[in-house]
Amino acid sequence: MTLLRDAYITGAGAYLPGAPVANDRIEDHIGRVHGRCSLLGRRALRWNGVQTRHYAMDSEGHATDSNAGMCAKAVRAALDDAGLGHADLDYLAAATTQGDYLVPGHGVTVHGELGGGPIEVASFQSVCGSALMAAKAAWLSVRAGEHNVAAACAGEFSSRWFQPGFYEGSALVDDKGRLAAEADFLRFTLSDGAGAIVIEPAPQPGALSLRIDHIDVVSLAGAFEPCMWAGGDRENRSDAAQGWSQAGPLAAHAAGSIALLQDFDLLKRVIRAWVGVYLKKVDEGRIVPDEVDWLLCHYSAQSLRDELMSLLDKTAGAIPPEKWFSNLATVGNVGSASIWVMLDEFLKSGRLQRGQKVLCVVPESGRALVGFMMLEAV
Amino acid sequence: MTTAVVTPARGGEVSDVLRRLAVVFAEFEGRLAQTPLIRKLTRGRFSPDDYRAFLSGLRQQVKDGALWMSRAASNIGEAHLELRSRLMRHAVTEHRDFRLLEADYVAAGGELAEIQGAEKNIGSEALSAWMFHEASKPEPFGLLGAMWIIEGLGQIKALEWGRAAQRRLGLPDEAVRFLIYHGENDAAHIEEFEAMLGLVLPDPATARRIVRTAEVTARLYVLQIEEIVS
Repeated sequence: MTLLRDAYITGAGAYLPGAPVANDRIEDHIGRVHGRCSLLGRRALRWNGVQTRHYAMDSEGHATDSNAGMCAKAVRAALDDAGLGHADLDYLAAATTQGDYLVPGHGVTVHGELGGGPIEVASFQSVCGSALMAAKAAWLSVRAGEHNVAAACAGEFSSRWFQPGFYEGSALVDDKGRLAAEADFLRFTLSDGAGAIVIEPAPQPGALSLRIDHIDVVSLAGAFEPCMWAGGDRENRSDAAQGWSQAGPLAAHAAGSIALLQDFDLLKRVIRAWVGVYLKKVDEGRIVPDEVDWLLCHYSAQSLRDELMSLLDKTAGAIPPEKWFSNLATVGNVGSASIWVMLDEFLKSGRLQRGQKVLCVVPESGRALVGFMMLEAV
Repeated sequence: MTTAVVTPARGGEVSDVLRRLAVVFAEFEGRLAQTPLIRKLTRGRFSPDDYRAFLSGLRQQVKDGALWMSRAASNIGEAHLELRSRLMRHAVTEHRDFRLLEADYVAAGGELAEIQGAEKNIGSEALSAWMFHEASKPEPFGLLGAMWIIEGLGQIKALEWGRAAQRRLGLPDEAVRFLIYHGENDAAHIEEFEAMLGLVLPDPATARRIVRTAEVTARLYVLQIEEIVS
């Protein structure tokens, strides 16, 4: 029997399309529903704290790239960072919330954009947490000795889903032409880009690498309804049998079932559940807050309300603010790609020292899921 | 639900117990969300009958709350007078709350005699028996765990449920006062609770008992909600 090998992140890469877009220019790229400026946008921006983001959609509403295309660019950048070329790649795990196609999967679509000979691929479709699902598959495949160079990538082209045509003529717009809050909020929250990591069974010679100690992905979907979803109307979203394809595309659009939506009341509960899962990991000794040197969390501390920060503090679960690293405010919330875009900037910032531990936390409001990845710099 | 393994951690015993209690509460919330009544509420199939059944189901435990708290206070010895004082004050604050709940019931279209004459459901019987049993023991510090669950409900869930019921059913403010009043009045909850834990900890046996009592109370509370039928 072969023993499991240690596996290391030896490279990271990101691709953010176009120039950064400031808050007052968002609707030039995603469009205005019935030509009207959003009433909610400013509130959403105050809450998420994002100042600039990127769109693969120019100000005329033309796509400048595809989700898979951005992923392929991020994979190339990560391979380059690892000192490898794309001929070295033998396993690709690709993650996204919404791929370019309904069929086939994101994995083969990214491979198609990347080009090159036969490799093994896997597709992971969820929301932000899909990044860690893909990373876990890539990590385990290297760990088990199946592959020697694996890449995990994640990408989003959210702005495409925010175009006015996704809402106009549907139940999401009222008779005064106003878009429902559960749809509009996300338009000012999510943006485009891709990120990737490369995993190998040995550290990169002469450079800092990150040994992956564990990746835990915990779904609480058994106790929660969808909280961020597309493909079902608000009232029937828990009944998968009434998913959008049952009614067909035109009827589903009219019912407001095609657009991406968020239930904010439920989100508050989901956030508490994430904190509960985290505290359980702390209690079990799986995460030791004192040993964490850097926290990369795909969620802004300001969005966790005071009561939760105080709960973390009083339960000895808090990680002090000076250990948090985040670029959400400048690159935007890129969904599944965010954690790799953040890790890439963090690694290039020169902050990390050999021997330090890095905890990555990726909550996913989709249906109450949260993932953790513990890394150590070697 | 399993009892957490007690391992030493950095923040001292009060932090350790608070963390375990937070985990118990998070799991409790998940189980509550799966009960038929709360599923109806969150999925928009909640009726006025469901709301009245909900109030009627809650009344029994609300009415008993101040009573078991008083009994617990009477079993606290001289070494913990401060905790005894706090429980007594707490009981005084809450012992008339069930009247508010009855008034809500009437404002929601129910008859006073109906809610006053309603029997405890199976879950309420079990919960009440458990509370009085624990409160009757000498130095019943484990009940701090029960308070964490029940106060947490008041602080975190009551407002959410009250607002959801009001929105779904178009109820007047006078019909949701109990749920909304609770949500708005318990903000300093965690600070006060931390101070109470500090009165009986560190003590490993007490720490374990507090967490265990929270787990049992949470399970029986869910049973009480499961058993509410309109």
